[in-house]
Amino acid sequence: MVLLSVEDLHVTFSHRGRRELRAVDGVSFQVEPGATVGLVGESGCGKSVTSLAIMGLLPPRGAHVKGAVRFDGEDLLQLPPAQLRALRGRELAMVFQDPQTSLNPVLTIGRQVTEVLERHRGLRGDEAKREAAALLDRVGIPDAGRRLKDYPHQLSGGMRQRVMIAIALACKPRLLIADEPTTALDVTIQAQILELLKELVADTGTALVMITHDLGVVAGLCDEVHVMYSGRIVESADRRGLFGAPRHPYTTGLLASVPRLDSPRGVPLRPIPGSPRDTLAWAEGCAFAPRCTRRVEACTTTAPDLVVDAVTRHPVRCYNPWPPGGEPVATSERKKRLT
Amino acid sequence: MSIAESEARLLSTEHTGDIAGSRMREAFRQLRRNPVAILGAALITLFVVVAVFAPWLAPHSPTAGDLSQITLSHVPGPSAEHPLGLDTQGRDELSRIIYGARASLLIGVVSLSLGALVGMLIGALAGGLGGWVDSLLMRLMDIMLAVPGLLFAIAVAAVLQPSLRSVMIAIAVVNVPVFARLLRASMIGQRHSDYVLAARSIGVRRWRIIVGHVLPNSLAPVIVQGTLSLATAIIDAAGLAFLGLGSADPSVPEWGRMLADTQQYLQSAPQLALFPGLAIVVSVLGFNLLGDALREALDPKLRR
Amino acid sequence: MRGLEVHFPIRKGVLLERPVGAVRAVDGVDLDVERGTTFGLVGESGCGKSTLGRAILRLVEPTAGTVRFDGIDVASLRPEPLRRLRARMQMVFQDPLSSLDPRQNVESILVEPLRTHRVATGKDARRRARELLDVVGLPAAAAARYPHEFSGGQRQRIGIARALALNPELIVADEPVSALDVSIQAQVVNLLEELQKEFGLTYLVIAHDLAVVRHISETIGVMYLGRIVEQAPSDELYATPRHPYTIALMSAVPIPDPEVEDRRERILLRGDLPSPANPPSGCRFHTRCPFRQPTRCHDEDPALRELGPGHAVACHWAEQVATGEIRPHPTAVPS
Repeated sequence: MVLLSVEDLHVTFSHRGRRELRAVDGVSFQVEPGATVGLVGESGCGKSVTSLAIMGLLPPRGAHVKGAVRFDGEDLLQLPPAQLRALRGRELAMVFQDPQTSLNPVLTIGRQVTEVLERHRGLRGDEAKREAAALLDRVGIPDAGRRLKDYPHQLSGGMRQRVMIAIALACKPRLLIADEPTTALDVTIQAQILELLKELVADTGTALVMITHDLGVVAGLCDEVHVMYSGRIVESADRRGLFGAPRHPYTTGLLASVPRLDSPRGVPLRPIPGSPRDTLAWAEGCAFAPRCTRRVEACTTTAPDLVVDAVTRHPVRCYNPWPPGGEPVATSERKKRLT
Repeated sequence: MSIAESEARLLSTEHTGDIAGSRMREAFRQLRRNPVAILGAALITLFVVVAVFAPWLAPHSPTAGDLSQITLSHVPGPSAEHPLGLDTQGRDELSRIIYGARASLLIGVVSLSLGALVGMLIGALAGGLGGWVDSLLMRLMDIMLAVPGLLFAIAVAAVLQPSLRSVMIAIAVVNVPVFARLLRASMIGQRHSDYVLAARSIGVRRWRIIVGHVLPNSLAPVIVQGTLSLATAIIDAAGLAFLGLGSADPSVPEWGRMLADTQQYLQSAPQLALFPGLAIVVSVLGFNLLGDALREALDPKLRR
Repeated sequence: MRGLEVHFPIRKGVLLERPVGAVRAVDGVDLDVERGTTFGLVGESGCGKSTLGRAILRLVEPTAGTVRFDGIDVASLRPEPLRRLRARMQMVFQDPLSSLDPRQNVESILVEPLRTHRVATGKDARRRARELLDVVGLPAAAAARYPHEFSGGQRQRIGIARALALNPELIVADEPVSALDVSIQAQVVNLLEELQKEFGLTYLVIAHDLAVVRHISETIGVMYLGRIVEQAPSDELYATPRHPYTIALMSAVPIPDPEVEDRRERILLRGDLPSPANPPSGCRFHTRCPFRQPTRCHDEDPALRELGPGHAVACHWAEQVATGEIRPHPTAVPS
């Protein structure tokens, strides 16, 4: 039973007098109930636009969405706005990167939590307040009852993100989309929030779509990972498959270019040349080809398809992928040091 | 492939003529594509051309009139000879409108340049030096802002004798605090930016940082304000002339005074109120449209 | 110059005076940076690492303390000698776009330091600008372009080229890669390393990313609320972190390897960073410390003690934590 099925999603932005921009170019993936799925990629790869398209939060003017987003079998893209609004917040919820701007600065956090409870769960007055306090307590906000009267600016970034998560969870949604929820936070706070998300997923059975640029976050959290580049998924695998036998040169490139805390000093990093701006249009070949070290002739003529690899059994969009285990990714010291 | 090579290749494949030149040029490109900006610029051009070439464009003298056809109940309307008819003194209305553009343009440009110049000087001193200089100058500007602009202009005009010069001085003074505060705020925003820190860390001298980095980057809002203030200056000038505080010589055509002069003829010759009114609206609209478009082009946040 | 013998002993205590009380951004920090090496300063937002970096270059005025650069007391220099000294100590900024004047083209950005210090003018300066571009791996054609035309990584190269223009000895790099895309960070890290080898540069790298800092630094100082709580050679810090904060910080850094992630024990810290305007009494970390003891921690300020060669820790119980005598308190989600 599939909870969310994104099918051949395309999002193009067009502005008067400007070239149209293909932000998402044929993305398909599925999310099982209770599963945690990661969308990984750098800025501009289309991961955030994908999440906004799923939530129906793209501006109706300028953004053209094609394909299907089936939630529980129903295509969200075909749903009338009123029905979609009702679904959003109750069944689908989202947490954004910047908790500073996604909370209303002139309302108390109590008001912002009870508002959702009133709208979607019909709770009123003290009942709503009690539930709000319970929710804030659940996401680890100390002294939750008193905190209801605080305004967002009185809370730290980590606390604000907890409030956002509390709001998202207020109606026990079946799907939570988290768009870089820890990027704006410090490492120790990030660890707290990730732990919280992990717990909540385990306790409530909510499915989680985690959107991030940080492979480390994915490695500890996601059941399944989709690596995106320039609007398309280039590699999909369960996390052990992806990190154990990465095949796509972009995936391996990312892994080799990030310094790891546990990799020995003096091992030079191997960066991916160029920048994410230097892409080829998919119509002309593989978007990653201009930066790829394993480029072959076909790469600059026709775009490769996402094909299930015979050996590793996971889909890769590449004509010349690394053999499994073939790419010398920066080796871990595998130190037991990490307490 | 070395990094240098790959970067070189990337630089050549990147930006396929999409972006060229400085941010200013980018702003101009934006303006050229914006119909609002083009309409605004067209109206302004029309206004300036009419003002500059008035002696060649005007079919008749703006001052010599023929009173023989004028009575309180009848002012001749448009005719082949006088496309906009005659005014209450028997002068050709079209020629007076055309010459009236000169007064408007003159007052607008001179008073605004003067006001903006003094205001920017004060703003640059306050924003560049900070400290007690800043506090002193800004309190002074606050006091100036507290005085209602038009009343102040009336007072200046009254003290200095009604004349075009008084009008210009009055409007200039009203504009001083506007520009001073705007430039100061903009400079203070820039002063804390990283590139100023970078310049300091290189060891660039303070005045060089202010003149070479902070000031040029603070001008965008001032340019926008300048365009919009020109529109206001034209309205203010018309208002003062309407109140009889314009040029000392009543025969000099001014749109504001032309409006005032027709008050008793509104019944018999409503066109005499219409035409100068239209002239004011069109010129003001031109500057406002261009100002808005400029604001949009210079402030990336307003772009869609 | 006495070659490798020359040190940059930096001793200082900085207070940033604000109208409402004093924010102790940096409070009594001592550190030495050896010539030709990289000192990494790591810590979370608000720990004062950026302020420290700027105070060393005197881009903010230290309230107390001294900064010695090659024997010269930077903190007490008059403006003109300070300005001349700036040629020898340069800075690389976090956000390469905002640290480049949008109205200057690249050539003018690179020529400015040369002209300011009268090192080169006219044609010479322009030739030098092209050399610098080459050094940081940008084509000469970049000279005529403006900052906004470049990608983030390229902009950071321009920022580095500007810092190199005057052949400095010390470069303070404040979060040099954190604004860049993941795939670009490594390019800039490698470039910094190559340049260090080529020109014998000394770096003070300030970053929140422990993995990046460990990768490029010989010595690491861990900062918490304006203090250095642990300082050690990079490998040693990684192998045997002694301060509870360092231990927690390391356990919080995600590692892109599910095998490692699944096996590691996370030490979660309770709550948030206290306000630097009103730091906790005693050990500043005691409010969040998973190893906190009932005595000393809350009322006695621990000194930075040397526990081994080059390894200093500011914790009363560092030995007991190291031997496992003191175990972390179980930390659930803080409540």
